[in-house]
Amino acid sequence: MKKLFALILSLILVLSLSVGALADAKARNLDEIKQSGKLVIGVFSDKKPFGYVDEYGEYQGYDVYFARRLAEDLGVELELVSVDAPNRVEYLTSAKVDIILANFTVTPERAEVVDFALPYMKVALGVVSPDTALITSLDDLQGKKLIVSKGTTAETWFTANAPEVELLKFDTYTETFNALLDGRGDALSTDNTEVLAWAIENPGFTVGIETLGSLDTIAPAVQKGNDTVLTYINQEIEALAAEQFFHADYEATLKDVYGDAVDPDNLVVEGGAIE
Amino acid sequence: MGNSVLEIRNLKKGFDGNGVLDGISLAMGDGEVVVVVGPSGCGKSTLLRCVNGLETPDSGEILLDGAPIGGMDMVQVRRQIGMVFQSYDLFPHMDVLGNLSLGPVKALKRPKAQVEAEAVEALGRVGLADKLHALPRQLSGGQKQRVALVRAMLMQPRLLLLDEITAALDPEMVREVLNVVLDLARDGRTMLIVTHEMRFAEAVADRVLFLEHGRIVEEGQPAEFFHHPRTERARAFLDTFEFDTVKKT
Amino acid sequence: MRDLAVLFKGNNPARLLGGLGVTLKLSLVSVALSVALGLAVGVLMTLKNPVIRAVMRLWLETVRIVPQLVLLFLVYFGMAKAFNLQMSGETAAVIVFTFWGAGEMGDLVRGAITSIPRHQSDSGAALGLTRGQVWRFVLLPQAGRRLVPQAINLATRMIKTTSLVMLIGVVEVLKVGSQIIDAARYDAPQGAVWVYGAVFLLYFLACWPISLLARHLEKRWAC
Repeated sequence: MKKLFALILSLILVLSLSVGALADAKARNLDEIKQSGKLVIGVFSDKKPFGYVDEYGEYQGYDVYFARRLAEDLGVELELVSVDAPNRVEYLTSAKVDIILANFTVTPERAEVVDFALPYMKVALGVVSPDTALITSLDDLQGKKLIVSKGTTAETWFTANAPEVELLKFDTYTETFNALLDGRGDALSTDNTEVLAWAIENPGFTVGIETLGSLDTIAPAVQKGNDTVLTYINQEIEALAAEQFFHADYEATLKDVYGDAVDPDNLVVEGGAIE
Repeated sequence: MGNSVLEIRNLKKGFDGNGVLDGISLAMGDGEVVVVVGPSGCGKSTLLRCVNGLETPDSGEILLDGAPIGGMDMVQVRRQIGMVFQSYDLFPHMDVLGNLSLGPVKALKRPKAQVEAEAVEALGRVGLADKLHALPRQLSGGQKQRVALVRAMLMQPRLLLLDEITAALDPEMVREVLNVVLDLARDGRTMLIVTHEMRFAEAVADRVLFLEHGRIVEEGQPAEFFHHPRTERARAFLDTFEFDTVKKT
Repeated sequence: MRDLAVLFKGNNPARLLGGLGVTLKLSLVSVALSVALGLAVGVLMTLKNPVIRAVMRLWLETVRIVPQLVLLFLVYFGMAKAFNLQMSGETAAVIVFTFWGAGEMGDLVRGAITSIPRHQSDSGAALGLTRGQVWRFVLLPQAGRRLVPQAINLATRMIKTTSLVMLIGVVEVLKVGSQIIDAARYDAPQGAVWVYGAVFLLYFLACWPISLLARHLEKRWAC
C-alpha cells in the first residue's frame, strides 16, 4: 500500500514538473484581439523605469509607454497584467497575455520558446567610478580593482575579455555599490542602465564608460507561431521610426532617471535597427 | 405472558468468540421494575444494549409489546425505549433545556413550545428548575444524571433502561439520583435496572435477576433474594457486600 | 525619515488597503470553502470504506508534500496549456487554497470526530435520533467546536501564504508594497523599511482580530 502511494505521489510530482513541457495553449490572433476590443500585455509592475506603478495606481515606464501605443494604434483597450521574471514566459505559453513587454532580453535559448519581435532597446555594460579618479576607457582599468556582482554578464565578460583586470566580487548589488562608496574598489561594472541610474543618485560618481562589451537587445515577445501579432508589432516598430517614437519614450520615461549625461542613442533602438 | 411490555427469548451474544450472553430469557409486564445484579463484566450492559438495539444479538428474540424488534427500524424502537448510561452523556455543547428538548422536538417532531414547557416542569420535579439554562459542565455528577433521567423520560418511553447510573458518582450524590428513580417506580414506570446498589435494589425491585457468566443463575422477589438466596453462587455474590467487623473492642 | 512620506504619496494608502482587501478576500473565501468542504471530507474519512479512505489519504499527502506555489502554477498555467482552460489568478488561488485547506481541515475534522467519546453517539441514538440527526445535532457541533483553534490557525496561515499569488499575477498587499517601494526607488531609497513596516502592520491588523475571536470562542464553547 505504501509503495502504491509513493508511486502515485511521484507521478504527481513528475506531472507538475512536466507542465513546462506541455504544448502551448491557444493564443489569440490579431483578428480575435480586435474583435474582443482589448489587447492584453504583460509588463513588470515593480521595476522602475521599465514597468512600474505610480502613486496613483497607474502603470508607467518605458515598456508601458509602448504598450499604450500598440493598443491605441490597433483601436482597442489596453489591459496590463503584472508579470515577474520567473513567469514571463509562462504567461505567453499559456496564452494568458498576447504580448510580453517586460524588459525582456533576447537570448538564443529564449528564442526557442517564444518569438521575439524587433528590438526597442539595447543594453550593454557600463563602468562607474568616482569623479576624482574617473575611468573612461578599458586601459584606465589596468592595475585597478573592478567591482562586479557574481553571476552577471559583467563578471563573465571581464573574465573572458580583460583577464588582467583584478575583479572584486560580491553576491548582491547592494554590496557592490557599498564597496564602491567606501573605496574598497576603484570602479564598478554592471548593466549600463543600472550604473547610470545609480550615478544620478550618488553625486561624486560618474559613468565614464557608457557602453562596453557585447550589446544585448530588448524586444517584445509573443507566443511561438503567433505570426499575425508578431507582424503587427514589427510593422509598428518600423513605422514609428518616422516620429522617433522611442526617443520620445526615452524623454518621457527614462530621461529623468539617467539624466543629461547620457546619450539616448546608447540605449534606444529606433525602427528596430541596430547600427 | 399476555401483556408483556418486554419479552426476551433465549438471547445469545458473543464478542470475538467469547459468549457474553448465553441464553437469557425474561418477560416484563407493564409497571414492573426488574433489577439485574451480578459480578462485573458478565454481560449486564450488553443485555440492555441489545434491548435498544445498540448491539445486535447473535441469536434469540426480543419483543416489545409483543412485536419482535429484529425486523423493525431500530430508530423507531429506540423512540419507545429510554436509556440512561453510567457516564453522564449529556450533550456538552447544549444547555440543559437544549439537551431535554432535542429528542422530543427532532425525533418525535413535537412542537417546541410544548416540549419546553414540559421540560421546565419535569426539571422542577427533580429539584433542578434553576438549572434550565446551565451548561452540563456547570453541573455536578448527580445533577447531570438527574437531567439525563428527565431527558429520557421526556420521550415518554414504554420502557426505561438504566445501566449502572450511579456507579461513576461520588457517594454523596448517589442518593439524589436514586430518589428520582424511586419516584419513577412509584409512578408506575416499567424499568429494567442494572445496579450495584443492593439496598436500593431491594427497595425498588419487583423482581431481581442474578446474572453470572451470561446466564440467569437465580431469579426471585427481592425479600427472598437478598435475605434467603437459594443458590450458592448468589450467596457468595451477596457476601461480597458484607463486612465482618475487624476491630475488636 | 523623509522616506516615510512615500507611504502617503498619492493614492498609496488606498492602494495598500486595496491590496489588503484582495489578500483578505482570497483567504477568507478559501477558508470558508475549506471549512465547509473539510467537514464533508472529515466525515468521509471516518467511514470504513477503504476506497474513500485511500482517496482521502492521497489528497492529504499531496497537500502536505507539494508546495503551494507548484499547485498555483499547475492550476493557473498548467490547466491553460493542458486543457485550454483559462481562469483568473484569483480563481486559481481560491481553487488551490481550498484544495489545501479542505485537505487539512478534513484531517482535523476526522481527528475531532474520533475524539468525541463513543457514548455521545450512543446517547443520541438512545434518544431515537436518526443517524443523520446524531451527526447533525450531536457529533458535528462538538467536532466543530474542537476545531476552532486549528481552523483559526489555518486561516492565519492562509492569509500569510496569499503573497504567493503575486506570481500568478494577482496584486495583493505585498505586491502593492513592492510596487510602491520600487516606484520610489530613486526618490526614497530607504522607503522599503517603512513600506514593509506598513505591510507588517496591515497583516497584523488582519490576523489579530481573528486570533481574538478564536480565543473568545474557545472560552465560550469549552467542552
